Amino acid sequence: MAEAVMGREVIRGQKPPSRWAQLKATLGAWGFMSPAAVLVLIFFFLPVVILFVISLTDLSSSNFSDPLTFVGLNNYVRLFRDRFFPKILGNTFFYVAVTLSCFNVGMALVLALLTTHINRRAGFFFRLIWLLPRITPSVIYILMWRRISHQPPFGLINQLLAPFGVEPQYWLFEQPWLFVIMVNGFVGASFGLILFSSAIEAIPKDLITAAKVDGASTWQSIRDITLPMIRWPLLFVTTYQTLSLLTSFEYILLLTEGGPGLYTTEVWALTAYKRALKTYFGHNQWGYGAAWGFVLVIIGITMSIIYLRVFRFNELVQEPKIDVL
Amino acid sequence: MKRWMPIVALFVVSALILTACPSPTPEVIEKVVEKVVEVTVEVEKEVIKEVQVGQPIHIVARCKGAPPHEEGRCNNLVSAVGAANAALAAKGDDRRIELEIIQDNADWGDYKTEFELASDAGQAPDIVCSGHEHIGDWGPAGYLVDVTAMLGDYPEFDDVIDALWASTEWNGKRWGVPQDAEARPMFYNKTLLAELGWSAADIASLPDRIMSGEFTWEDMFDTAEEAVKAGVVKEGNGWWHRPKNGGDFLYYYFAAGGEIVGDGDALIFDKEAALKVYEKLFAAVDRGILSDTRLDGDWTGWHTGITNGDVLFAYGGSWNWAEWFTQYVADRGGQDYLWEHFGFAAIPGMANGTGEPTTLTHPLIYMVSSASEHPDLALLLISKATVKELNTDYAIASGHLGILKSQAEYGPYMSAKFLTQVLPLLEVTTFLPNSPHWSAWSNGYYEGIQAAESGFPAEDALDIAVEYMQNELGDDVIIR
Repeated sequence: MAEAVMGREVIRGQKPPSRWAQLKATLGAWGFMSPAAVLVLIFFFLPVVILFVISLTDLSSSNFSDPLTFVGLNNYVRLFRDRFFPKILGNTFFYVAVTLSCFNVGMALVLALLTTHINRRAGFFFRLIWLLPRITPSVIYILMWRRISHQPPFGLINQLLAPFGVEPQYWLFEQPWLFVIMVNGFVGASFGLILFSSAIEAIPKDLITAAKVDGASTWQSIRDITLPMIRWPLLFVTTYQTLSLLTSFEYILLLTEGGPGLYTTEVWALTAYKRALKTYFGHNQWGYGAAWGFVLVIIGITMSIIYLRVFRFNELVQEPKIDVL
Repeated sequence: MKRWMPIVALFVVSALILTACPSPTPEVIEKVVEKVVEVTVEVEKEVIKEVQVGQPIHIVARCKGAPPHEEGRCNNLVSAVGAANAALAAKGDDRRIELEIIQDNADWGDYKTEFELASDAGQAPDIVCSGHEHIGDWGPAGYLVDVTAMLGDYPEFDDVIDALWASTEWNGKRWGVPQDAEARPMFYNKTLLAELGWSAADIASLPDRIMSGEFTWEDMFDTAEEAVKAGVVKEGNGWWHRPKNGGDFLYYYFAAGGEIVGDGDALIFDKEAALKVYEKLFAAVDRGILSDTRLDGDWTGWHTGITNGDVLFAYGGSWNWAEWFTQYVADRGGQDYLWEHFGFAAIPGMANGTGEPTTLTHPLIYMVSSASEHPDLALLLISKATVKELNTDYAIASGHLGILKSQAEYGPYMSAKFLTQVLPLLEVTTFLPNSPHWSAWSNGYYEGIQAAESGFPAEDALDIAVEYMQNELGDDVIIR
């Protein structure tokens, strides 16, 4: 018989382990964890610390060779005083929310359900096709979209719609958000598609069969069996893709550069990049850009905590849900 | 698991034995062979080695140039190696230059950042060819060699047009040698003007009427609007400016009467002049002359639209001429096609500004890095590239203007019709400031331009620009 004492099992009538044994056990645990801990420290924690330290300086290309000058929270004051700060923040949440719900989770789920409910080979083929945007180099992928949506007399859309009498337009700049979200969404959907498909495939077939024997329709078996069974991958994809979208900007940079006009499709990460690293005349403000970056880190951490709480992450990771069933 | 152990052990032992084995001593055989040496020339990175009779000195040059027409920026240095080494030999110096060039067409911002990071790491190239305005950043930062006292050692530099030296100066000193110059003209489509009803005489006299102040910016807008209304060009194609930020927009401000350089280090932002610019741009979009998506960053679309004859007026650069005849209308007759359908002139004066025609010159400068261990050799090489033969070849190929006095009497240069016709624009030229604050100033001013073309009223655009500049530059900008 055993009872749990401070996380250890103590057999009644036996002496508790010596302090040396406890220390050895603790050191052993830390020893096993240390490689991962060192990696996390170096590649995750330290960059955030460095980012924060740089954000407290006025480091820029015009004073690069001078000793660092600390300016306190000036960069943050500048950031929050920027008249386009609310617009950029709004753009960011809009971009994340719409791309996530319509594509990264929504379309991924629909595609996963469709491709797992058709012939297995055909399903595999369609999933393969949906992976193409992800494996295509970003620049080529965006160039392709720019050509598709280009201004008259160019643009594949214009060529295709011309026979129907549709007035040729510069589609990319007439509907910039539509293209920004689609371009990112087609890439993002493949991630959820793969995870959802494998989770659906892993659901024991006898459950579905039993439901069908009981007279459940396809929709009912999806609603009452499939979706509850893939709750964990759904929540994981939602959380992971939210954070991923928050920090992604490369497709927007290549597609619209945040335009057309002033900050129309500019998201937070793109502003941080532009401030720190990318202006036409090379005016790089690393300190100010770092402040934008650090605020994004805070937003990301906050979102992570909210997700972990709302989705009761601790309960989810206690035991593998699918295997239990 | 255990069955793999012997295999792993065998592999490790074999590796150790192989590593420990000494290299076999080669047998020395004396043979007379005929040797053919081939020099492979790469576009981006090229190492030129000559027969060395002295101590080889490795010099690295970094240039930005659009291929193929602007590659003379670094290629002329390659061509100058022989002359430089001959000069060294003539004065009994046993050093010999071995040149490596790195040349591509990176964005200006990336190009500038690359040199700054390399300089801070002590790995900057010996020679960098870049926009003169970067002297404003790199001079104070200590990245460049002050060549003022060294220039007199090289007689080739006496031939450089005197007015161009100003673009190499900061803090009263010279930080490089001009490599090229250009003008930024207004291109006009002769065919479309004729369609609009202009006579051949009207079209032919347009450059002179602009220079005399008779035809103004406002007249250009009126003509463009007329062309849109008459259906000669589509809405938004009456007048095009460049599709992204750049030096061009500064001459709008100058044309409106603005000043940028004052007595001190701080730059000036003249609200009245900037407001006139923003009003002009807002009106251009509002009147259907200019598209609100003109700042789309798409150079290919820009060149194609103009060379296809879709646009009436376009503010561009003299180098566009070379780009167009080599890449865009090569199959339609090249330069002959351009001469037939296009003309160019100075930028018309703003009637509510200075009223004077204008343009802008953006000389590129050969600069010597302070990280160079052989600045004298770097400058020697630059001097041998600063000769009329090499510079003329580059000017003709690239659509840039010559930088040497002797080119005014040099046959090949004077027979280049385009260059000789663009040259008079330099009479009304302006420059970017060599100031460490220029980049931030430019960004703020450009935010106002984006705002005005996005539909913000001119006053709001001005507020946006002022806020940006105050936020970014603080005391380093005087708003007045």
